[in-house]
Amino acid sequence: MSRQPTIPLIPVSRRGFLGALVAGAGVLAVASVAPSAITEKPIDTIDMLTPEEALAAYEAEIARLRAARISGAPIDQLERMRTDLLRALTKPVAERRWVMVIDLRACVGCHGCTIACVAENKLPPGVVYRPVIEEEIGRYPNVSRRFIPRPCMQCDNPPCTGVCPVSATFTNEHGVVEVDYEQCIGCRACIAACPYGARTFDFGYTYTANTPSAAMMLGAEQAVSYEQTSTFEYSKVHARRDLHDSPVGNVRKCHFCMHRVLNGQLPACVTTCIGRATFFGDANDPESLVSELIARPNVMRLKKELGTEPRVYYLQ
Amino acid sequence: MLKRLLYIAGILGLLIGLWGLYDRLVYGHMHANYGSYVVWGLWVALYMFFAGVATGSFMLATLDLLFDLPLFRGSGRMALWGALVTLPAGLAAIGLDLGHMSRIWKVYLQPHFGSVMAQLVWGYTIFLGIIIISLWLSFQPQRSRWLKPIMAVGLILAIFLSGGIGALLGVNQNRVSWHVSNLPAQFPVFNLTSGVALMLIAIGWFGPQHDSRRTRQLHVLSLAMVVLLLVKGYYLWSDVSQALYQNSSHGAAAINLVLFGPYGWAFWLLQLGIGMLLPLIILTMPIGKQGFAAGLMGLCILIGLAVARANIIFPALSLPELQGLGEAFHGPHLSFTYSPSLMEWAVTAGIVGAATIGFLVGTDRLPLFTRPTTEATGTAD
Repeated sequence: MSRQPTIPLIPVSRRGFLGALVAGAGVLAVASVAPSAITEKPIDTIDMLTPEEALAAYEAEIARLRAARISGAPIDQLERMRTDLLRALTKPVAERRWVMVIDLRACVGCHGCTIACVAENKLPPGVVYRPVIEEEIGRYPNVSRRFIPRPCMQCDNPPCTGVCPVSATFTNEHGVVEVDYEQCIGCRACIAACPYGARTFDFGYTYTANTPSAAMMLGAEQAVSYEQTSTFEYSKVHARRDLHDSPVGNVRKCHFCMHRVLNGQLPACVTTCIGRATFFGDANDPESLVSELIARPNVMRLKKELGTEPRVYYLQ
Repeated sequence: MLKRLLYIAGILGLLIGLWGLYDRLVYGHMHANYGSYVVWGLWVALYMFFAGVATGSFMLATLDLLFDLPLFRGSGRMALWGALVTLPAGLAAIGLDLGHMSRIWKVYLQPHFGSVMAQLVWGYTIFLGIIIISLWLSFQPQRSRWLKPIMAVGLILAIFLSGGIGALLGVNQNRVSWHVSNLPAQFPVFNLTSGVALMLIAIGWFGPQHDSRRTRQLHVLSLAMVVLLLVKGYYLWSDVSQALYQNSSHGAAAINLVLFGPYGWAFWLLQLGIGMLLPLIILTMPIGKQGFAAGLMGLCILIGLAVARANIIFPALSLPELQGLGEAFHGPHLSFTYSPSLMEWAVTAGIVGAATIGFLVGTDRLPLFTRPTTEATGTAD
């Protein structure tokens, strides 16, 4: 991925805030009628599919796929995974086991998953949930390359949770290791404990702060608005507007896009993978694609010897 | 003259620190150079250093106030004062390192006691209380019967808290150079060394000139320091030799960074040369028992110990958990190399300056080197 210019947020002081309030009044008036202006619902949590809704969606999807099969149209792996996902959502939470499978032979190193993740979670500079590690094998000029996407492993035995002094990071009911942004004190002990380097600290940077004013740069206010609009990590609403408020000053990490999954959508990194190298689903469902994949003999997990029991499997 | 110089240095440090503090409070962590990979930097090293000096000083205070060793009679208050000044300095350093300082109350009201860090926060808070109470009791005209029990509890706590620092690092099994069982066992020795070094400074530079015990105290402290430095040297040798024997693990890579990395000079010159070898030589010579030289060696040892804390933390964090991770994604604070920023140094200067001034004010304003000898037989004061 290419380097991005990184400019810090301007800290919000009372005077600065009042000044911005006055100065921004005109901009807001324009933005409120602009078609690209982003409006937010004043909500704390987002909706999820109920089992009944999931069942209805699942049945509709099955009917659609059946019709497609009859007509001879090819069925994409994504469609199958989405059906698997909806089927999983009809089950009680405790009976699901979300896993991710990454086929290293299919990954082309496009970094599309990284970018999709940044866009989905509006990640600021310096925060990354899913980098793609490039490994060079052999000696020049006789080299080959391997690409290893590295999301959070969502370990069943996570070393990062026990070290947290305030239980701000924990395994939630979905088996996903969660960070409670309002609880996290920012000590970063969990980063030191993670064997996969899967956590990063939000230092408060944005891509747009201190850029020329809106009059001089087309779309600047929309960009700022986009950066500050809420994300839905852990199915909660998080706005990132203040240098001194969460999630700035917190540790952040991949969460398997649970806010999407619980609404019947695949994680952003899965849907954007052009090589169809990333798979997601319920390993507690023998009919699911991921169950088929992790039963293969060429499956492996990173640093398995540490006993962390990662939920991310690699096919090699 | 020496005290005046130290006051000036302390005030200068404090002034520089005020700028650093302003920067830290207004801009958060953006101007720091630690990041998401080298996740702990200078302030964590400073915390470990000052916390070590505090626990070590408390251990030294027990020689007078718990064990009643005649030779160290009258030195307990000074040691306690040293602990009282250095512990808040360490806690300030680690407090400023937090992403959300204002949420520190959560560690008290919503703690996860399985976390070593939570245990340390609670432990150091209780320890700070013990230091304050024991110092207050030591100033009473009649010696309180509560002093010894409190000092005994404080001593046990000091040993466990020292080991706790080692455990804070050692529980991370992914960091091979930390995840060794004897790391928590080494830290009490390191911290005792810190305490003895501070007492060399306190007695050597600020002790009562006409006290007949002063020379003997310096003599015994010098000998103790030589033994501690030899033990510390043995630990260092065992760490280095074991890691380098196979020369293949992350542990060896971390040791190689310490010895031959970009800051290898700090190890050879400051940690080993000035912090260990020079004091070993000087303190075994007659000149080493003289006040100024003993104090100077104490200062050298403290500098070496501070560098050693940094050398424990930074190299272990400078090794990628997965090869290629450092190049996989670029952005601010995503680097496996670390050198403290100006803001970090400024805050450090401020904390060291404040601790120095606090220490000096105590030696000027408080009767730290005298102690009532009459024993209270009745109720507590």
